Amino acid sequence: MERPAEAAAAIDQKMKNRYLTLALLTSVLHTRGQQDSIYHHQRVSRTDIEVLFGYYTQNGDHSAITGGTGTEKLRVYSPEFTIAHHRDSAHTLTLNAGIDIISSASMDNIDFVVSSASRLSARTHGSAAYSWKLRRSNTHIAVQTGLSVESAYLSLPLGVSIEHNDPSGSREWKASLQCYFDDLRYGWISKEYFRPVGLIYPAELRDTNWFPNYRRNSYNFAFSFYQVINPRMQMAFFPEFVYQKGLLSTPYHRVYFKGSSERVEKLPAERWKLPLAVQLNVFAGSRAVIRSYYRFYHDELGITAHTLQLEVPVKIHPAFSLAPLVRFYTQTAARYFLPYHQHDVTEAFYTSDYDLSRFDSYKAGLTLRYAPQRPMSPGYTFNALSLRYAWYKRSDGLTAHILTLLLELEHTRVHALHEGFNHSD
Amino acid sequence: MHTIDRYALYTITLLALTCVLHSCTPVKPYQRAWLNDAAMRPGSTGIEKFDINVHTIREGASGGGNGKASGGCGCN
Repeated sequence: MERPAEAAAAIDQKMKNRYLTLALLTSVLHTRGQQDSIYHHQRVSRTDIEVLFGYYTQNGDHSAITGGTGTEKLRVYSPEFTIAHHRDSAHTLTLNAGIDIISSASMDNIDFVVSSASRLSARTHGSAAYSWKLRRSNTHIAVQTGLSVESAYLSLPLGVSIEHNDPSGSREWKASLQCYFDDLRYGWISKEYFRPVGLIYPAELRDTNWFPNYRRNSYNFAFSFYQVINPRMQMAFFPEFVYQKGLLSTPYHRVYFKGSSERVEKLPAERWKLPLAVQLNVFAGSRAVIRSYYRFYHDELGITAHTLQLEVPVKIHPAFSLAPLVRFYTQTAARYFLPYHQHDVTEAFYTSDYDLSRFDSYKAGLTLRYAPQRPMSPGYTFNALSLRYAWYKRSDGLTAHILTLLLELEHTRVHALHEGFNHSD
Repeated sequence: MHTIDRYALYTITLLALTCVLHSCTPVKPYQRAWLNDAAMRPGSTGIEKFDINVHTIREGASGGGNGKASGGCGCN
């Protein structure tokens, strides 16, 4: 009788061991499952921080304020701050704010003020954009708005865009509509008023109300298409159409006619612009990138322009690069442009603004970029510091220097989501 | 628009389309090391922003992958 009892006990023990092994295995697998579920429920947010400082100085002798003659001396200091918060891989909020402090000798000549220091004016601007990715697709939608204010100008931009990336990563297109609703009245941020009081005309021409309309609306339809050609080359196309309507003249630009007559600049109330650009980027060898850009432009005023730019970033060190650049630009004159004292009083439209004259311009510059992508403190990374200088010359005698400094930082944060922990309990 | 400019526009468009349609080779993810470099990004770079603003104001032409084509006075 003992033998069957012992055999039964042994079988029972074996069964217990099997159950125990199964329970342990289940427990281990369950624990791994718990760890996986916590890992998958983390969200990483990233914030890109950009601080840009621009300095611009120019000198020339064809100011439009004094009818195409006189000083164009100008200095602009332009700090700007941008934050792009990527909540996750689908949602991005971008905020931008900046101010341009402008010291202009020609602005004094609206009133023919003789001062030891040039008049200071400012433009403050801010914008906000929000983009999100549509579910189960590689398509992003974005909306954008903002405000730009200076003493004789207020601009309200509104925009929407759609962007689609091909799943293979070799093709991308983007379409956008950007509208600007501008008001050219003076007084917005003037110390005396802080409200719009009317268009500002040259001091000696204020006895006439030259323009009944003070609004300017612009509608920009822009399309961009990126295509990878091969592992070292990609191309982009930028066709665009711009339509402007309203007061396109600048109310304090003078025009001097043959004889002694003088009026305020007058341009048509409508203008369309057609830019079409092509960009080709090639990685040559193991250190250099050739960035080439060409733009054709034509508009209703009769300006036809060609722009050619070549920039070659060369990697001196994994974190340091030098990028020399050259740019050539040429344009024909607007059909309403004539120099000082050349216009005839019988003309319907007239301007002596040399920005609309026939000229060529040349630019040469250098960008230094240090991009260590080094962690600074927990969560913060120093991505890059860039310094760019460019010398600019126009064939009508205007020369300029442009200096830009850009600091790029990044902040990342890991968010543990509650759903992950609840699931594992 | 002058005839020569119109021909230039057509030629560039045709050349560009030809490049895109006939010269593209499929690029696998592990072959994207060159393309993913920051300097290879199409469009304008962040540090170009101020230069572009200057060109928009000081020249008759604007736009073409360069950001804004209006929205400020720039009348100085």
